[in-house]
Parts: sequence; C-alpha cells; structure tokens
Amino acid sequence: MLGRLESSEGMMRDMDTKKILNKLDYYRIYMILAVIFILMCLFAPNFFNTFNIINILKGMSLNAMVAVGFTVVMICGQLDLSIGSNLTLGAMVVIGLQPTLGWFPSLIVAVLAGSLVGAINGFLVAKAKIHSFIVTLGTMTIVQGLIFLISKGSALSVNDFTLADWLEAPLFGLFPPRVIITVSIVLIFFVLVKYTKFGKGFYLVGGNKETAWLAGLNTDLYLILAFILSGTTAALGGALLAMSISSAVPTLGVSSQMVVIAATIIGGTSMAGGTGDIFRSMIAVLMLVVLFNGLMCLGAGYEVQIFASGLVLAAVVLGESYALYEQDKVKGQRPALMAELKKGAL
Amino acid sequence: MFKKSLALLMMGALSISLLSGCGGAKTPAPAETTETTAPAATTTGGDAGDNLTKSLAVDVSTLKSSDNQPLLLKTEAKEIPARPEDPKALPEEDPLHWYDLEYSGWSAEKVNIPKSPADGSIGKKVTLIVHGDHPYVTAYIKGAQQVATAYGMELNVMSPNFNVDVQNQLVDQAINAKPDMIVEIPTDAKVAVQQFRKINQAGIPLIAANTLPEDEGMKYVIGWAGPDDWGQMRMLAKTFAEKMNFEGGYTITQHAPGGSPYFSRTYGIVTELKKIAPKMKLLDAQAPGFEAEKTMQLTSDWITKFGPELKGIMAADDSAQQIGINEACKNAKREDIIRIAAGNSKVGMDAVKAGTVTAITYQSAEADGAVVLKMAADWFNGVEVEPVRYLPKHIITAADVEQYMPAQW
Repeated sequence: MLGRLESSEGMMRDMDTKKILNKLDYYRIYMILAVIFILMCLFAPNFFNTFNIINILKGMSLNAMVAVGFTVVMICGQLDLSIGSNLTLGAMVVIGLQPTLGWFPSLIVAVLAGSLVGAINGFLVAKAKIHSFIVTLGTMTIVQGLIFLISKGSALSVNDFTLADWLEAPLFGLFPPRVIITVSIVLIFFVLVKYTKFGKGFYLVGGNKETAWLAGLNTDLYLILAFILSGTTAALGGALLAMSISSAVPTLGVSSQMVVIAATIIGGTSMAGGTGDIFRSMIAVLMLVVLFNGLMCLGAGYEVQIFASGLVLAAVVLGESYALYEQDKVKGQRPALMAELKKGAL
Repeated sequence: MFKKSLALLMMGALSISLLSGCGGAKTPAPAETTETTAPAATTTGGDAGDNLTKSLAVDVSTLKSSDNQPLLLKTEAKEIPARPEDPKALPEEDPLHWYDLEYSGWSAEKVNIPKSPADGSIGKKVTLIVHGDHPYVTAYIKGAQQVATAYGMELNVMSPNFNVDVQNQLVDQAINAKPDMIVEIPTDAKVAVQQFRKINQAGIPLIAANTLPEDEGMKYVIGWAGPDDWGQMRMLAKTFAEKMNFEGGYTITQHAPGGSPYFSRTYGIVTELKKIAPKMKLLDAQAPGFEAEKTMQLTSDWITKFGPELKGIMAADDSAQQIGINEACKNAKREDIIRIAAGNSKVGMDAVKAGTVTAITYQSAEADGAVVLKMAADWFNGVEVEPVRYLPKHIITAADVEQYMPAQW
C-alpha cells in the first residue's frame, strides 16, 4: 500500500515536471527575448534608452506585419516564398501611384495587388493541387521580374515627407503610428485565428486536411484565404515602410523573406502545419531585431548579426527536434503504467 | 491565463523602459532655425584652443596608400556649366540630360547645416555608415581609418550589406549614439534623401560620400566627397574611341541599378562617345550584377547576336564582370574585342598587364575613404569646406599599370 502511494507520488512529480517543461517550451520565445533584452541592456552601450527602443519597434514593424500572413500559411502546412516580392510590390505601387492618386487610394491599390498575388497562389495550390513551394517560387520570380521591368531597376520616391514624418514620429513619446498599426493588425488576426471558430479551422486544415474536410470544413477556401492574407499583409508591410521613407527600391524585400521564415519557426510555428501563433511570430521578429540592434550597439558587423540569428534558429530547431524525439519515445505508452514498472511496484 | 500575464508583463517592461529610458536620449525634434550649433565637442585632454592648434598642425600629406600612392591625392576642381531649364527634356545622349545627377550638390540650397565648433578634430567621434560589404569598401574603410587616426578621431563603422531597410535602422541607431559627425555612403540615391533629412533634423553634421545622392538630399549635407565618376568615364571613353579608331559597335555591362554609378558608367560613356566618335554605335547595355557567370553568359549572347559588329565592351566593374567578359571572349576566340572597365581592382590591373583589357580608371578606394575623413577634420577645424570634393582622375594603361601595384583590393 505504501509502495503504491510512493509510486503514485513519483508519477505525479514526473507529470508535473513534464508539464513545467512543456510550458517552458511553449513560452520559450518570451524567455529568449527577455534574456537577450536584459543582456543587451547590461552590456550594449546606448541600447537602453527611449529613442533606441522606438528604433527597435520601428525595425520590427515591417517583418512583423509580413509574418502575420506567413504564419497562417505555415499553420495550414504550406509555404509562401513570394512574401519578399509582394512586400516590394506593395512598396513600389504605393510610391509609384502616389503622385496620381494620392496616399490613401494608392495604398488600397498596393494592398489589393498583394491580395491578388496571394489569391493566385492560393488558387493554384488549392485547386490545381500544385505544391506551394513551386507555386510561390514561380510567383516570386514573376512579380520580382515585373517590378524590375517596370521600374527599370530604379528606385521611386516622392518629395513629400508629411506622411513619412507622421508615421515615424512617436505618439505621446511612445509608439510611432506605424508600430501601432502593425501591432493592431497582429492582435486582430491573432485573436481571429486563435480564438474564433472560423480561425481555428486553419489549424485543423494544417493538422490533418482530410480530417478537416470530413469535419465539414471547406479546406480549399481556407488555403486560398491563407495565401490571400499572406499576400495582403506582405504588401501592406512594404507599403507602410515605403510611406514612412517616401521611397521604394526594387530590392526592398530580398532579405525580409529569410528573416520572416526564421522568425516564424523560432516563434514555434511548425513547418508540418497544425501549430503556430501569430503573436509569438511577432515576438520572434522583435527578438531578432533586439539582437541585431544590440550587436550593432556592441560594434559587431552585419555578418555577426546574421551568424547570431542563425545560431538562435539552429538552437530552437534542435530543441524542437529533441522534444519531438522524446515525445516519439513514449508514443503509445501509458505513462502511469511505465512509471509503476520502473518503480517495481508490480 | 499564464500566457496573458506573461504577455502583459513583457509589455509593461517595454513601456517602463520607454518611459524611463536610462541614458534618456530623446527623439530629436526638427530644428526651427536654418543654422544650429553642432553638438558639443567631445575632446579629451587640453582645452579647445589647444585641440585646434594640435589638429591644425597634423600633416597627413605624407600618408601613403597600400599601392604606394599618396593617400590624400590633390583634389580636382570641375567646371560646372549652366543648368538647362529642363534637363529631362533633352535626349539621353546629351550630357546635359544628366545634369542633376552629375552636378548634384553644386547648386543645392543648404538647410539647417550645423556651424562648425572650430575646436579641432582630436577626440571627435565619427560614425561611418557604408552601403555594404565589398573589397572596395574594406579598402575604403582602411583609408578612412588612417586619416581618422592621424587626426585623433574615433571612427565607428556600420554596414547594412546593401539592404535599404537595414541602412534606415542604422541611421536611426547612429542618431541615437549622437556622434560628432555622420558620414554616409547611401545604398540608394533616392532613399538617401529621407535618411539625410533625419540626420539633419537631429542636428548632427553630415557628409555624404562615394556615391551621389539625389540633388534634393544634398541640401542636408555639409558636403560630398568622392570620385568624379562622370569625368572619369569621359576620359575612359576617349581612350576607348582612340583604340577603336572612332568607329564600330560596343556594349556596356552596367553597374547595379539605382545608384549613381549605374548612370555615370553608362551615360558618361555614351554621351562622350556621341560627341567625339559619332560613328561608334551602342549595341546594348545591361546590368548582369557583379557575377562573373552571369556576365559571361551575357557577353556570350552578345557575341552570338552581334557577331563581327561587336568591336568593344565597356564594363562598369573591372573585377567580377571583367572576369566574365574575358572568359566569354576567350571561349568565343574573340580576343580582338577592345575592352575597357571602371575601377582598379587586382583583377582589372592584372588584365591590363596581360593585355586583355586596354584601360581602366584609377579610383583609389583608400583615397576615397581618406578624402571624406579629411573633409570631416577640416570642418572640425573650422576650415571652409567646399560642397563637392572630387578625387583626381587618371586612366591606367599597360604603360603605367606597374606604378599602381600592389592593388588595394
């Protein structure tokens, strides 16, 4: 009797430890951000002040916006390589049309352009059943080529800085409007995808498409909507950045792509689909920007920043692989029975 | 519940740091007057007068670059013609069509330029924001560092690796660090306008370098220092025309689109040849990037397409592009094609020595970096600084290539 009681207590301790470890794994991105932030505050000169924190938030805005749609695509178990091109498309369209249409209409057109590219991606993936890697690789090349063809490789600019100044100047000394817009979009879609019945459908589609279909979900529609969202948020992010600097270059989105993919994975979204979190993707983007900014304050070059972010990605991926390995080891086993056998209670 | 609490805690920490901000660097407000005083001198040791005397006494004329040339070459003046009413209305083959690009900065009305503290350069902090990582830039930084060390200035280098968004963030970071001066090589001539404006509004003195920004951006800078690319291309075009007997078809492999060298290294050649060798015909101009493989493919396509009509090729880059061009000519057994290039890398100079390239421009990367830091030191010393400071021009041929060895990059 005493033996059984002791083995039960041991089982409870094991399960509590596992729960804690799972929680820690779930919140790892917050912990990584906190650690990096604290270290930079302590050691990086000129890091911890209002102006630099605002810079960090502004630096996060572009990729955090792009990561919204990209995360949803990955939750559905797909990939969108055209985000960089869509971002550039949004930027070039808004600046290119501004002299004719004004800011707001040109922003609408820019966002719709990104949505159109996303719709094409979604349609080809969902209806034509072409792998998303191939489809989006194609649209990435086509869109980028079109941009270069029309702009002849040149940048576009407008000599009106009124909107740029408004977007960049912090409101009440805190958050610039561009950051507020970005965080608002992130929060809206975070709540929509995570906490509404409709939004949870994305997880079902990504987790098991057949089961989702059998459950009555229109899986093709979900895929198309995911890609449309990805194209829309990428174009919106690019347009906002272009508006904040009153110019756009044809190579704007080239490096954003890799940062967004890395951040989404670091944030806990699985490439296999079915899991992910828009808010955590934003936190991951913020973490990378804090890291880059801090390293720059420490005098490290660009190559060190790339190396450091690669290390973080590698560490996160290895950690996840190890967690999956541990999970696989106990798959099918009854934890309570295994614990008892270990203790020799039977 | 735990997650929400953690998220709230993080946001609270972020907000507290925003409000408290140790170090307290405030967002700089746009200046209201047209002139401001530069940030207080960060000199160490001795008073300002002593600092000024010492730094005025610094002699940098004896400094040498790694190719045994004087590091600080005698800068050249340039004749500035009158601006046509509408340069864009002129044909592209007319040099005045490119007036605003070539003579950028000469007629800009300066805005909010800080006054020099005239207290010497010793101890001054200068932030140099380059456009990207490249062997030329490495040599550039080396030259800049030499002059900075001679004048007792502290040089901090930042590189965005040709990424416009990253350079924007670096500009913000540089403003945050409040150096005594910022020197910037823009990644893009148009994007530079807003970057320069921000630095100017922060009250930090700014010198633009190497590649020319749009004319609109020049009103925010103390001055610009770098190579007279347009002038160099005209000299190179003369050598090209002589070698081609003032006739025949030619092509151009262009620089990266968007920057000032893209225009200068194409239209500097085209406009000059139109004037001095009207029988020479531009067959094609394309930008293959700085990849030997792509350039080789492009050149092979030209050789196939134009055949014997193609008599000469101009390369905007004498290293990677030139390798591709030479390889294609060799493979097609067209060593008769006259080749010229911009730049004086080791690859380019070896090619001139070997006879595969007729002429290249002498553009000392180290001198390029040195001249801008000299301009900064002059400004700190209260010496009047001209709006544009050009490096001298020279064309390297087989006759004098040995004088410029070993190559800087």
